Amino acid sequence: MLSIRNLSKTYANGVEALRDVSLEIPRGMFGLLGPNGAGKSTLMRTLATLQEADSGTVTLDGGAGTLDVLRQKEEVQKVLGYLPQEFGVYPRISAETLLDHFAVLKGIANSRERKEVVQGLLRQTNLWDVRRRRLGTFSGGMRQRFGIAQALLGNPRLLIVDEPTAGLDPQERNRFLNLLSEVGENVVVILSTHIVEDVSDLCTQMAILAQGQVLATGSPQELLAGLDGTLWQKAIDKHELADYQERYAVISSRLFAGRPLIHVFSSEPPGNGFTPIPADLEDVYFHTLRQAGSAAAAQAA
Amino acid sequence: MFAKIFTFELRYQARQPLLWGVALLFALLTFAAVTSDAVRLGGGIGNVHRNAPLVILTLLSVMTILGMFVITAFVASAAIRDFEHDTAALFFSKPIGKFDYLAGRFAGSLVASLGVFVGAALGIVIGSWMPWLEAERLGPFAFTPYLYAFLVIIIPNVLFLGAVFFALASLSRSVLFTYLGVVFAFVVFGISGLLLRDLDNQALGSLLDPFGNASLNLVTRYWTPVEKNTILPALWNNFGLNRLIWMAVGLLVFAANLAFFNPAKSVVRRKKKKLAEPEAGVGALGAPSPAGWHAWQTLRATQDFSAAAAFRLFLRQARLETAGVLKSVLFLVLLAFGLTNFLFGAALSDDIYGTSVYPVTHNMLEGLGGSFSFLLIIIVTFYAGELYFKERAHKMHEVYDALPVPTWVPFAAKLAAIASIVLTFQAVGALAAMVFQLVKGYTRLEPLLYVKGVLVDSSFFLLIAVLAIVLQAITNSKFLGYLVMIVYMVSRTVLSILSFDHVLYRYGSTPDIPYSDMNGYGHFVPGYLWLNLYWALFAVFLFALGLLFKVRGTESRGKIRWRLATERFRGPLAATLVASLLGFLAVGVWIFYNTNVRNEYLSSDAQKDRQADYEKKYRKYKDAALPRITEVKVDVDLYPEERRMAARGHYLLKNKTDKPIDTLYMNLLPRVTVKALDFRDHERTRYDRKQGFSIYRLKQPLAPGETMPFDFSLEVKNPGFTNGDSDTSLVGNGTFFNNREYFPDFGYNEDRQLLDRNDRRKRKLPPVLRMAKVDDLFARRNTYIAKDSDWIGFEATVSTNPDQIAIAPGYLQREWSANGRRYFHYKMDAPILHFYSFLSARYQVKKDRWNDVAIEIYYHSPHAYNVDRMVASIKKSLDYYTRNFGPYQHKQVRILEFPGYQTFAQSFPNTIPYSERLGFIARLKEDPEAIDYVFYVTAHEVAHQWWAHQVIGGDVQGATMLSETLAQYSALMVMEKEYGPEKMRRFLKYELDNYLRGRGTELIEEEPLMLVENQQYIHYRKGSVVMYALKDAIGEEAVNRALASYVREVKFQEPPFTHTPDLMRHFYEVTPPDKQYILKDLFETITLFENRATAAVWHRRADGKYDVELTVEAKKVRADGKGNETPARLDDWIDIGVFGKEKKGRKEEETVLYLQKHRLSQPTTTFHLVVDKLPVEAGIDPLNKLVDRDSKDNRKKVTAAGKV
Repeated sequence: MLSIRNLSKTYANGVEALRDVSLEIPRGMFGLLGPNGAGKSTLMRTLATLQEADSGTVTLDGGAGTLDVLRQKEEVQKVLGYLPQEFGVYPRISAETLLDHFAVLKGIANSRERKEVVQGLLRQTNLWDVRRRRLGTFSGGMRQRFGIAQALLGNPRLLIVDEPTAGLDPQERNRFLNLLSEVGENVVVILSTHIVEDVSDLCTQMAILAQGQVLATGSPQELLAGLDGTLWQKAIDKHELADYQERYAVISSRLFAGRPLIHVFSSEPPGNGFTPIPADLEDVYFHTLRQAGSAAAAQAA
Repeated sequence: MFAKIFTFELRYQARQPLLWGVALLFALLTFAAVTSDAVRLGGGIGNVHRNAPLVILTLLSVMTILGMFVITAFVASAAIRDFEHDTAALFFSKPIGKFDYLAGRFAGSLVASLGVFVGAALGIVIGSWMPWLEAERLGPFAFTPYLYAFLVIIIPNVLFLGAVFFALASLSRSVLFTYLGVVFAFVVFGISGLLLRDLDNQALGSLLDPFGNASLNLVTRYWTPVEKNTILPALWNNFGLNRLIWMAVGLLVFAANLAFFNPAKSVVRRKKKKLAEPEAGVGALGAPSPAGWHAWQTLRATQDFSAAAAFRLFLRQARLETAGVLKSVLFLVLLAFGLTNFLFGAALSDDIYGTSVYPVTHNMLEGLGGSFSFLLIIIVTFYAGELYFKERAHKMHEVYDALPVPTWVPFAAKLAAIASIVLTFQAVGALAAMVFQLVKGYTRLEPLLYVKGVLVDSSFFLLIAVLAIVLQAITNSKFLGYLVMIVYMVSRTVLSILSFDHVLYRYGSTPDIPYSDMNGYGHFVPGYLWLNLYWALFAVFLFALGLLFKVRGTESRGKIRWRLATERFRGPLAATLVASLLGFLAVGVWIFYNTNVRNEYLSSDAQKDRQADYEKKYRKYKDAALPRITEVKVDVDLYPEERRMAARGHYLLKNKTDKPIDTLYMNLLPRVTVKALDFRDHERTRYDRKQGFSIYRLKQPLAPGETMPFDFSLEVKNPGFTNGDSDTSLVGNGTFFNNREYFPDFGYNEDRQLLDRNDRRKRKLPPVLRMAKVDDLFARRNTYIAKDSDWIGFEATVSTNPDQIAIAPGYLQREWSANGRRYFHYKMDAPILHFYSFLSARYQVKKDRWNDVAIEIYYHSPHAYNVDRMVASIKKSLDYYTRNFGPYQHKQVRILEFPGYQTFAQSFPNTIPYSERLGFIARLKEDPEAIDYVFYVTAHEVAHQWWAHQVIGGDVQGATMLSETLAQYSALMVMEKEYGPEKMRRFLKYELDNYLRGRGTELIEEEPLMLVENQQYIHYRKGSVVMYALKDAIGEEAVNRALASYVREVKFQEPPFTHTPDLMRHFYEVTPPDKQYILKDLFETITLFENRATAAVWHRRADGKYDVELTVEAKKVRADGKGNETPARLDDWIDIGVFGKEKKGRKEEETVLYLQKHRLSQPTTTFHLVVDKLPVEAGIDPLNKLVDRDSKDNRKKVTAAGKV
């Protein structure tokens, strides 16, 4: 169980990356959803001991007691698995060699054990056939799978995966998420992403983060339940879009068969040809962001 | 299209900070060279203007050598950029011709490179306007030298180098290959240097130098200051040819580049590669594995986070990091470069008159140190940045930094890797050196000494490595880290220029630790070790500081890093910081106690101030009347292992003047402890402890002709260690000092005056002091050696360790042992100068005899190589000198080896100390061409027993002609008897070359030989040439007759002492009137000839002989002290010769068909000569006996008549 309390962080250039962020993250897959620049990576790096917070606390319970994540960095590193958003490899080294090297760095000193672990992970991540190939020749998906393999070395209790699916094609992404889903429920897994499906497919708990603030948190079901009966959709003409946006709380608009299909939020049936629809996570996401945006606008006004 | 590409390239390059940075750096370098004396480049010294045309050319020429690395970067960037950025396809898919593309890029980058040299030129121009420069050291500003430099030197060099590097880069598409080109250019440069060693190969060797530097030197080597200040080299010569050749080569290389360039090459290859690779992993299943989480569970492995594990991790990391570097092509290129540099240096080292020395290990080590040091600093700095930021460069730092690895492990591992790189470099160097030794047939390998030497040499680089990587950690920016490191290295130099030279504040500095075969590293070891401990502790502190501030993760803000540092400051890290700092301070205190309390520390400026102070205070006593020391008896006890000496001495002082003397001015080194001074009742009226200068007033003056005893007891100790200038006289094995170092002497000591004119000016002293004029009778009351003595009787008892032999001048009377020490009693039978040495070492002794004279060589046993040659030379010398000059005053000649802290041989009465670096390790080849300089130096030193120890000049101009020039002549004659005139000519060629070069570097004024003011290029080099020419003109017998009568007249003379006019008188007596003009040319003036053969043809005569028609030009000029020349009337006897060739065994040898002196008075003369055999060459002064700056054109090939 990871508790984040009142975490704040302002960068030297004045950007408030985290504003009073508090989250309770239980074991299992936790999705951290937010647009680019929301502060996800800042939060992830802070949890991964790579960055300092200005204020707030983070504790990790379980196993051998409670760890102060911001202070006891060395202890945290021992139980941490981290796949950063941007991550390179030595292009001339083979996957097996580099993974073995990381295993050593994770303290797996016994070479027989290490060999087993490395081989096991290579098989699990479907890299077994290419383990002798130079990492420079790996595709993006293979590289991300290698990344998760290295993060899983040494059985981490806290696994942090920062935007792992960005830039992957659907097939690779699918394969990667499957891999992640196997990690199971005994560990805290935090997956940050700006892709809603990543969370809806995998996570039992989630939070939405924007402009450094937690906008919503809970299980996807809870968040969906909050929007029950308030979502409506309608296909309109392109030239009408501006008009609709003025009159309704439009939370999303996408083209369907060449015409805009808009979703609006309304506690009462809006009539005017709108039909009710069940909420999906994407609606929750956009609705939350929209609310935060209008709140900010209201504040500014 | 060419123009478009060209301007595009030029604009691209102009936006690169590298271009501007290097231009600025070059400007600073040349600015420093012009405005300060600290950077000595270009040769603007003495009477040569700081901005003389030749100085400008030389400076800019040197800059092109340095600029090679920059040119490489520019042209390689232009050639490779498109292939690195994958933009090549964009270019070649457009209708651009190969020529437009390549030529445009090439020309653009070349012009950019030239910008750097515009910077260098501006540095000179601006530098020469600086207000602090003395006006007389500057010439007027002229534009032509700069234009000349660009057209003749810079552009051809940039063109050639650029073409080669551009070709390498555009054909190989690899920067590394391009840098291999730099190595190649250095190899060519090195071969050129090898060839230049031999005077006969200079033309070829200088043509081979792609930078034209050697050619420029060749055509201007004999230029006088006046020429350097006013003219530019002509181009119709070796220099112009060199420029043409290399420009042509540059264009050819570019043409070849055009022909072979294939724009599609790299692009196509890359595509193929991509296609050939299967899309791996595609076939993998998309479904979750059925085992689910439990599959991961089985992978559980034990993790070890103990300290021992961390240490093992460190070792592993260090090994990996090191292997990564050692396997990289860049490292191999750097290593190849370093080795090339070293091997050429080694091949060129220590070459005297074409004879080399044995490649003894310590010479090899010095060579390694010299050729690696700059490179290693670059390597250490470069790899500190590379390795420190390796993870970041690969974007792996977030993964690494989140791993459960202690912060110190990767940091220390990277440092260890740099250390391994340094040591690998050195070890490979040592192996190469041993291979070099074996190839040279030298089999006395000393691997252990290599280990020591390499470690001694490496410690500095290891310390620098710590600094470099800590700077990377603290600045957290590769660029800033490099910048601070460069600033640091520059500041080191600046500090030492500003005379801040204490080791305590110069990170990584230790006192020098020279090696001598005789004495090993000797007493230098403790100081060296203490300083290393000191800096090692500081390095630990720095390292811990680096850990404290090192960024782990992505947090680089200063405030947060500071907070983190305070958080990290605990536990072992805090303890290390505190302990290392305390240790550092404690050791520092101990070092300070040694360098500044137990010994005196004077910065170089303070030392000069002290000398100036001595002159200011006491020069007024310069002409004070002094008593003469006439008798010396000393007991000297040497304690080599303690480096201590105790002496009890007895002088007898005599008033040789005609007035009573009531004052004694005494000098004694301040370091010497006086135990007792005992002489006639006196009072001390002045005591200057710092200068070691005392004035005593005698209660009862010393009457004319009266004598008085002067007894002293003193001790010299060398406690602890010093900052620099460690005493090398009293050492463990190889003690060597003379009386002037430690014994009291009397009167104002002019040897202590500052000589450098800038040093004098800064301290408000009058301009440089010149010698007294040749006929200054008052100055001639003293010999040029000493003013408190002339001839003395001498006796000494020396004691030393039982395993050493102690030597002083005189004959061994008795040798005995007492209280565990060995005693030697020496006594002299003839009067000697007050100038004697004491030596003690573990010697091997070789004994021999010549008539009734005992010959003894005392040498370090591994250095037995040339002992027999020395004996032979002594015998032949004694034989020649006693027959021709007069009897030898002693019954013994001894040569004694001393450690190579100094490199000279010096003749004391019957005793000749000889540095281990000179002669003892000379390698006398069977090569008949090589000159046996051991034989020569020995003969020269033996000759000093006559020329200095019998005939000693008064303290006026020309004094050294009477000792050094005559010793040169004597040695020449002995050598000629041994080796024949052919070899003498070879020897004299070097002498003439050295003399003519020496003229160009004269700081004050060149004097004619008979007025020489201790100028070495005159009294040795010109002396040899002049005396040989005299001998050639009037015959050996006449010269020797004059010398013998001169010796008879002046030997063991009382004041006033002889001067050169006395000797000239004897020369005039033996020279027929029609040849007396030669004495004026040779001794009394600076006379130069410009002789050349202009035409030579032969006809076959009916009787089978050959008619030779030879036309020659002859011209004689006189030069003044600055080098201004005026024509002189020609009416001279000059050799005219015709030569044939004859097979002797395998070799063709030259035979003389005709050689006669002719009296020439016309500028052009045509001779008709008849010779018996087919003539090959003919000419004027064909054996180069006259001082002629271009001796090559004296001869011409003789062609058959009718043919051209």
